[in-house]
Amino acid sequence: MCAFGVPLVLWCLVSYVPFIWHPMVRVTDAGDVSWLSAGEIVEGDAFATENQAVAARGGRVARGTAANPVFLPAPHEVARALVTGFTTPPARPDEPWLHQALLHSIGTIFWGFLISSLVGVPLGIMCGALPSVARLHEPFIEFFRYLPAPAFGALAVAVLGINDAPKVAIIFIGTFFQQVLIIANTTRRLDVGLLEAAQTLGATPRQLLLRVVVPGVVAELYTDMRVLLGWAWTYLIVAELIGVSSGITYFINQQAKYRAYDKVFASIILIGLIGLGTDIVLASIGRQIFPWLRTSKAGWFSQLVRLALRRPRRTAAGAGEDEVVQASGMIG
Amino acid sequence: MTNALSLPAYTEQAPEVQERFRRLKERPVILQVRDLVKDFRAADESPVRALDRISFHTHRREILCVIGPSGCGKSTLARVLAGLETATAGQVLVDGKPVTGPGPDRGMVFQSYTLFPWLTVLKNVMFGLELPEGASSSSAETQAREWIQLVGLSRFADAYPHQLSGGMKQRVAIARALATRPRILLMDEPFGALDAQTRAQMQGYLLQIWKNVDVTIVFITHDLDEAVYLADRILILDAHPGRVRELMEVAVPRPRTPEQVLSPAFVAARLHLQQLIHPTTEGRPIPMIRMTVVGDDVE
Repeated sequence: MCAFGVPLVLWCLVSYVPFIWHPMVRVTDAGDVSWLSAGEIVEGDAFATENQAVAARGGRVARGTAANPVFLPAPHEVARALVTGFTTPPARPDEPWLHQALLHSIGTIFWGFLISSLVGVPLGIMCGALPSVARLHEPFIEFFRYLPAPAFGALAVAVLGINDAPKVAIIFIGTFFQQVLIIANTTRRLDVGLLEAAQTLGATPRQLLLRVVVPGVVAELYTDMRVLLGWAWTYLIVAELIGVSSGITYFINQQAKYRAYDKVFASIILIGLIGLGTDIVLASIGRQIFPWLRTSKAGWFSQLVRLALRRPRRTAAGAGEDEVVQASGMIG
Repeated sequence: MTNALSLPAYTEQAPEVQERFRRLKERPVILQVRDLVKDFRAADESPVRALDRISFHTHRREILCVIGPSGCGKSTLARVLAGLETATAGQVLVDGKPVTGPGPDRGMVFQSYTLFPWLTVLKNVMFGLELPEGASSSSAETQAREWIQLVGLSRFADAYPHQLSGGMKQRVAIARALATRPRILLMDEPFGALDAQTRAQMQGYLLQIWKNVDVTIVFITHDLDEAVYLADRILILDAHPGRVRELMEVAVPRPRTPEQVLSPAFVAARLHLQQLIHPTTEGRPIPMIRMTVVGDDVE
């Protein structure tokens, strides 16, 4: 969590310490300056020039406080927007609520990633396991992955219409080709010794694939999928601009039009939180379902409890080893 | 040197050892290797001959150690016997049937740990038992537990490989290889990665296990003491290309104990191996190159 401290402190400094940056002035009292009104944010130079002119004429000068441009809201404003974003109805009835926009985006990602994985994972494993399959498919995939996914936007709209289908297609194109190559490489890294051992135990080629290759790479593959899901998110914004703009991208663009930059920031931060949160959850699920990767015998729940109780942390790996070494001593 | 220590000739066998070898040779032949040739062909180069007309056979329940200098093709021989490599020429017969590929009649224990990391000890040992069509998983589990007990790891049946020490991993590998009831157990330097103490322990375990199981063992090693300690007969290979130098009968009586390492028969056998594999350099000056400049005033 320390990693978040530095940017947050910088943001606070720029927002709350008046002599750092603050190039604008928020007018509190317009005085005799005709074109100013209270609450307005104007450039510091223009404000000073105008006041000089007014003072020279003997009029009442305007007053104001140093302020940042409207596109840099302070942390507390963004925090407020994060909370109120879900409770404030949209400005126009045809616009989505924040949560509706987010769910729409998550749905787009989900379908794009799911369709990509349903084809990409088996194909990747086959490419990694069977050189003939790799020779058949990989050159084309290698070529295709250099084509930027957004370049297919117009084509996707022409073929799939203007609604959600082309967006899912862009996420698919952005994910699929990387996915096949990454998973094929992971599969190739499987220790040949394991395959040979299985062969000497009598495994048939089919059994080798299903009982050695697949379980042998599934844990690594899970990690690959977490990385690839991050890729899918990076294509989301482009995908949502295609055809009828939708989802969180539409929401952000609308808020920017209303100059509600606190809501823009809040939405961007939400995307980050969703991505990070998903990854943390997936990582902990991974530790649960792949116990052979875990050095500790304790699951994530008991680890959370331990963290919450703030006991001095004992390295779980060390504990496990000791027991085995002692026991082997007993047998020996 | 041999005279100074008053050692017996390595061929000299006590009556009970002679009797043992007579009975051993009456047993059926399990593995027969005839004029085995294995060439490796690197890209755009002439083939390199790794094994050159290797012939030998083993009898039922024999332990045959294969030893030789590095590069003599020991591991290649094991891999050809396992069916993981195909022979360029010649024949490998198990129970009279030619070997065409890997199969459960020849179990193999590798030097690198090849336990499946995603399976527990029990599931690792069950792996081969569950492969045949229609294998019942409950009988596989019962058998696997017996094998795990035989190698003394019952307490660790539910542990994952990463939780075991190197020696324990190899014991599981032995149990896994034996569980499918192979005719031959091929062991390719199985204890090579272990420390000396664990290795000695493992040799003891192996002999104990072998006493309880009807299996012929072909054991590849580069450790002279290990070969003499384990083997009935030792196949000594020459390097470049790998050829049979000698098939030696070990005159050390069974059961073997660690104390026998100091017995005259053991020392004689070991000395003979050493002379074959690492010929003495006496009389031939070892060419020396001065590696560091030490200055002219030295000497």
